[in-house]
Amino acid sequence: MTMRRATFPIAVLLLALALPAQEEITIRIREGMPMIPVALPAFQLDAAARGSAEAAAVYETLWQDLEFSRIFKMVPREHYAYIPAFKPDAIRFKDWASIQANILISGQLELAADDRLIFSFKVYEVAGERFIFGRNFGGKKDLARLIAHRAADEMLKHFGEKPLFTSKIAYVHESGSDRDIYLMDYDGQRPTRITFSSALDMLPSWSADNEKILYTSYRNLSPELFMFDLYSGRTQLVSSGGSNYAADWSPAGDRIVYTSSKHGNSEIYLRDMKTGQEKRLTFNPAIDTSPCWSPSGREIAFTSQRGGTPQIYIMDAEGSNVRRITLEGSYHDSPAWSPDGMRLAFVSRIENRFDIYVYNLKNNEIRKLTENAGRNENPSWSPDGRHLVFSSNRSGRYQLYLVDYDGRNVRPLTRDGENKMPKWQKPSR
Amino acid sequence: MKKWLLAALALSLVLMFPACAKKAAKVEPVQGPAVEQVEEPTAKVEKPVLSEEELFQQKSLEELNKDQVLKKINFDFDMYTIREDMKPILQANANWLLKFPSVEVLVEGHCDERGTIEYNIALGEKRAEAARNYLVSLGMTPAKVKIISYGKSKPLVQGVDEATYFQNRRAEFVITKK
Repeated sequence: MTMRRATFPIAVLLLALALPAQEEITIRIREGMPMIPVALPAFQLDAAARGSAEAAAVYETLWQDLEFSRIFKMVPREHYAYIPAFKPDAIRFKDWASIQANILISGQLELAADDRLIFSFKVYEVAGERFIFGRNFGGKKDLARLIAHRAADEMLKHFGEKPLFTSKIAYVHESGSDRDIYLMDYDGQRPTRITFSSALDMLPSWSADNEKILYTSYRNLSPELFMFDLYSGRTQLVSSGGSNYAADWSPAGDRIVYTSSKHGNSEIYLRDMKTGQEKRLTFNPAIDTSPCWSPSGREIAFTSQRGGTPQIYIMDAEGSNVRRITLEGSYHDSPAWSPDGMRLAFVSRIENRFDIYVYNLKNNEIRKLTENAGRNENPSWSPDGRHLVFSSNRSGRYQLYLVDYDGRNVRPLTRDGENKMPKWQKPSR
Repeated sequence: MKKWLLAALALSLVLMFPACAKKAAKVEPVQGPAVEQVEEPTAKVEKPVLSEEELFQQKSLEELNKDQVLKKINFDFDMYTIREDMKPILQANANWLLKFPSVEVLVEGHCDERGTIEYNIALGEKRAEAARNYLVSLGMTPAKVKIISYGKSKPLVQGVDEATYFQNRRAEFVITKK
């Protein structure tokens, strides 16, 4: 397997950062670790499920999820033909070992009379010839994909990883002159519209508990910051006066940072969401914007033009101890801190091309994630830190794409209309 | 009897006529009466050109904005300083605005499609602010000039060349009250 090392050699040199030890690092990035080969033979189906679209959806979704994970690797289906057919009550582990499967998933699917789908799966370790764990999921049949995502998340959890496949991506969908906030599954399926104003709605951002969305809307003829509660359906105004945008919720869930020009100039504000008390964090006549919390909640990365051009800085969450991260290049913005706290993704303009770069805060290495294909913007990390979603106009109009943390597996997520400003849900706590 | 006599006389006259006609050919054609020209005196009245004040009174907000009585200005890439060649436009805008002190105006700051969404909102705001400050320096009442930034979300023209980008890097002046 060839690993494309897209380390960016010249354009951006970085400050060596003496970062404090961060005990919040719990996610292990298995760089270079071999992926676990998984076999997923066809499910046992009851009469009602046989040939149904739902049965196919559960199987294909589970397969695609595991394949996407970078933890598991699917044993190619063609190889199953070399061994006797799978029998759930008499598993011949040696056969599965012979086609290089380490893990075997046995699935069973029923379509009950009340349109309920019941999916049961058992996971076996092939070498040890033993049952590891199993789960049963039931739900309305139109939730077939979600049922598969839940099953795939159980696989991740069992192997010590954080759930990913039930996570959502918030984004802006544009059709005609209307721009509204939507949510979709991580794989681009099942889009749901959540704002319905005829004005511009933009820059969605998740709360720490993933139950609320902060976004900017021009519905009252100026860019104001709103909060939408996904469970109650209620919308409330958070900040107005001047422009109010680019909000990010603190990992502890008590505060937000955002950009506002309510006092004349674009500055970064810290707001306590319980008391409504605000503290201004930046004080200079230049543009300060795009604040983003570190997963520890102790630091904030942001963009400032105080040095003449937009560059990425990090400050302590109280606004002190500001240090510049990007030293060269004339345009950087949209910093996004990885969930493990070790990397910052951002957009840089190098020779008039806008690409996404990932800066490793530990070893100061820079990696270019996107290669000279249109303008690439608004990177946002997956909750497990192994993937990013971003927008790009490489196909003409802006669409959303996924890419792995190392630049591999770029894949399109959206096709219809124009889609941009993606924000992947926060890691569940 | 008399009738017959009259008819015979008339017939004889007619039979004589060809000889007479030959003589008549020499007669000059009769001149018709001169054509009299019919004229209505046109008054020297032209549609009056409305004064700026009258136009202002007459037009709705929408019409004033559609007619672009206030001209937009453009900016350099990544910049929000007022270009020298844009200052006369701002001066003309200010002259018009000062003539109508009841007018309130919204300055919209816009960017070209390059650059990030977030930074462009801030940049568009800086452009609107620079335009506003210039108008204020020329005598506009600060309270009558509001600003808004649309960043790069409302391009004026579509395209991927510098001429397009230049048109999109702009501040527009929208009359909100007259």
